[in-house]
Parts: sequence; structure tokens; C-alpha cells
Amino acid sequence: MITETVRSTDVALSIRSVSKAFTARPVLRDVSMTLRRGRATCLYGINGAGKSTLLRIAAGLLRPDAGSVSIEGRDVREHPEEAKRRLGLISHASMAYAELTVLENLRFTADLYCVSNRAVRIEQLLAETGLGPFRYDCAGILSRGLLQRLAIARALLHEPSVLLADEPFTGLDVQALEHLIGIFETFVRQGGTIFMTTHDTRLGLRCCDRVVVLDQGVVLLDKTKKEIDPERFAEDYLSYARSQN
Amino acid sequence: MKSAWSGFKAIVIKDLVIELRARQVLPTMIVLGMLIVFILRLVVEPSSGRAEMPMMAAAALWIAFLFSGLLAQERSFGVEQQNGCIDGLWSAPLDAGTIYLAKLLANVVILSIFEMVIVPAVLLSFSLRVTGRWLDLVIVLALGNLGISSVGTLFSAVVQLARTRGALLSIVVLVVLLPMLIPASFALLVLFGAMPEEVGGSGTLAFVGSFRAAQGYLLAFDAVFIVACWLLFGVVVKE
Repeated sequence: MITETVRSTDVALSIRSVSKAFTARPVLRDVSMTLRRGRATCLYGINGAGKSTLLRIAAGLLRPDAGSVSIEGRDVREHPEEAKRRLGLISHASMAYAELTVLENLRFTADLYCVSNRAVRIEQLLAETGLGPFRYDCAGILSRGLLQRLAIARALLHEPSVLLADEPFTGLDVQALEHLIGIFETFVRQGGTIFMTTHDTRLGLRCCDRVVVLDQGVVLLDKTKKEIDPERFAEDYLSYARSQN
Repeated sequence: MKSAWSGFKAIVIKDLVIELRARQVLPTMIVLGMLIVFILRLVVEPSSGRAEMPMMAAAALWIAFLFSGLLAQERSFGVEQQNGCIDGLWSAPLDAGTIYLAKLLANVVILSIFEMVIVPAVLLSFSLRVTGRWLDLVIVLALGNLGISSVGTLFSAVVQLARTRGALLSIVVLVVLLPMLIPASFALLVLFGAMPEEVGGSGTLAFVGSFRAAQGYLLAFDAVFIVACWLLFGVVVKE
């Protein structure tokens, strides 16, 4: 477990003793962790380990049975609007309206977050994600990879300080993958915090400086990248995942 | 406040643009409404003739509004289910009440467009005249629209979680709307000349008393349900 002392002003995301059960099945059991500004943390775990549930609780989309989550000191349940303003979310789904164009989807999101420099910010993100040529295409006709880029543009539009990404690499080709990793690296360099899940240990280790493994709702491992041997971790995680399936 | 207004406007415009572009609900609503009017018109013709026309017309209008309204309301949150858009909406820094009011306004606009088509169709089919009382008719229809949309918008969000969406929405909404339909029917019967302005005695419609009282009941129903649904929305839809 990471035991280093973290100043409260450095804390971007704080998860305190979070537990969650669906009907009688516990999904998360007393999970706690603190994520610092300007750091990227990757959450690993086999299907059903509780990764997505933890991310949804952090995003304020699910209510924990016990415990609390705060974003830069704002409790997600007590001050949801202030907390959500600081949060960007990328999930399995693109969260894009099929009938609206790429531009309209981004404008809609900008208005939801009341982004002041809407046009400029949208142009920036269209350029960053390479969606410029597709701006007038309806989201319904975009490929999986392009939809994922739209989801990323949507999540970064309001300049969040914390980015929650649930398997963000799903469906991306090599070029789009490199592009996304570049966006993530820039985001972290500029002081942003990433909390992401993935099944791909190689990509996770490339993007993040901390790894957390969840097993049946419990934190099994929580180490910085410096504390582990990436090759060994990848091998061990793979054999662990195989043994669980 | 500024951000709530910006979000409110964005949701209303988005819902209307999607509907006008996809044309998924309005054509279905109009076809269903016309079918209801047509069937009820066929029923009244061979029986007792013109005396029953206003009664059947009032019934046709409210049945058409209710069932066609349900189609619009089910789609209202159904559209948010595609590509996980509902998560995008809930993760935005907007309070649930603002989302409810925006969805309500979009539903009211869609039902109003439907009313503009179906009301002339009913008046023509049943050979009715509301000379000099157009404003009263518009007020009654607008109040009915608000009542149907306020309840339907709340429950359409709730039943999205259920597998039996459509059926469940119909049952729940129709039961809740029943108290509104009594003064609503009374008001239309007065406007169509089937009932006097004031009624005494016993019976379901006599309980309403007068046309003005019917409008009052409708207004009260709308006010209570809009405020109650607005307050309840956040509580019932989270999770």
C-alpha cells in the first residue's frame, strides 16, 4: 500500500472506505485511496472485480452504501455540482447522440457545463482529437474509434482537473491509441489527474505512474510504478487473471 | 443560475432537434391519434347520431392525448439510453430538477404540435363548433398537456430501469392522471355544448360543478404535480 503523506491541497480525488453491494452481492468492500494532482492511476481487475462500479461512484453516478468520495475537497454527494464540474468522464459508451453531428454533440456538452469560450475550446479539441474533418458527420455513422475520440473530446471540453476513464482504449486502432496516450500525457503534464481502468497491463503501465489491483471488491495491490518491475507485474497479473477465470 | 439556464436550454433544444431530425415520435403519435379519432367517429355514427358527437369527441381527444403523449414521454428518456447518454446527463453539473424541467418543456412542445394537428381533425370529424370559446379551449388543452407531460416525464425516467417499459409507463401514468381527467372531460363537454356551464346533483362530472371550477382543478393539478415531480425527480431517478 502507498503510505506516503499527501498534503490536502495535493489531493485531487479521495475515496474513503467505500463499500457497495448489488442486492446481496458485495461489489466493493471498504475501498480507500487518495489520488494526487498531476498523477495517473490505473485500476486493474478481472471482470466483476468492481472497477467500473468504483469509477461510477467516483463520478457520482452511483451512491455508495458506505464511505464517501471527494473531488478536490468537494464531496460528490454533498456538493455534486461543484464536484462534477471538476470531473471528466469517459465510459464504455460514447455518450454521444446518434442524431446529432460531432459539432452539435460538443456544443451540447459545452452548454451543459456552461463553457464560456465554447467555440474556441471546441476547435481546440477537434484539432487535438483529429475529429475536424468529421465535424458535420452525425455521431450515428461514426466508427467505434471515432466515437471514442468524440467521447474523449466531450470529457475534456470543460477542462476538468480529474479524468475518470473506464477502459478508454477499447476499439481504438494503433494510430488513435497513440493519439489518446499523447492526450493523456499532456493532460497529466498540465496538472490533471487520471483514474482509469484497463485490462491491458502494457498500456496501463505506459500511461500511469501508479497501479491498483482490485480483487472481489478489495484492493489487492497498490503500488507506484517505481515500486514494481513492469515486466514482472504484467506477467504476474496475467497469470492471476487466468487463475481467476 | 447561469449554468442551470444554459443546461436547461441545451437539453430542450437537443431533444427538439433530435425529434425533428429523427421524426421517430411525432409521426407515430399523429397516426395513433388519427386512428383513435377515426374509430370513435365510426362508433358514434350508426348509433344514436348527433347527440353523442360532443361526448365522443371529448373522449377521442383525451384518449388520443393520453396514449400519444405516452409515446412521446417514453421516447423522452429512451433517447438517453442510446450510447449511454444518460450517464453524460447525470454526470453534468446540473441538478436533477433542471433536467426534469427541460425534459418537461420538450415534451410539452411535442404534445402541443400533436394537439395542433389532432384538435382540428376532431372538430371536423365530429362536426363541432366552439365559436367564441377558442381561448377557453386553448387554456383547457394547455392545462391538460401540462398535466399529462408533468406526470409522464417523471415516470418515463423511472420506468427506463424496468424491462416492461411501455406497459409499466401506461399503467402508472394513467392511474395517476385519472383525477385530472374528470375536470378535463367536463371542461371539454361544456365547450362542445354537451353540458351546461354549471351542473348540480350527484355523479362524477357533477362533482366538478362548473366550467370555471374545472379549469381551477386542472390548474391546481398541474401546479401540484409539476412541483411534486420536480422535487421528486432527483430522489427517484438516482440509481
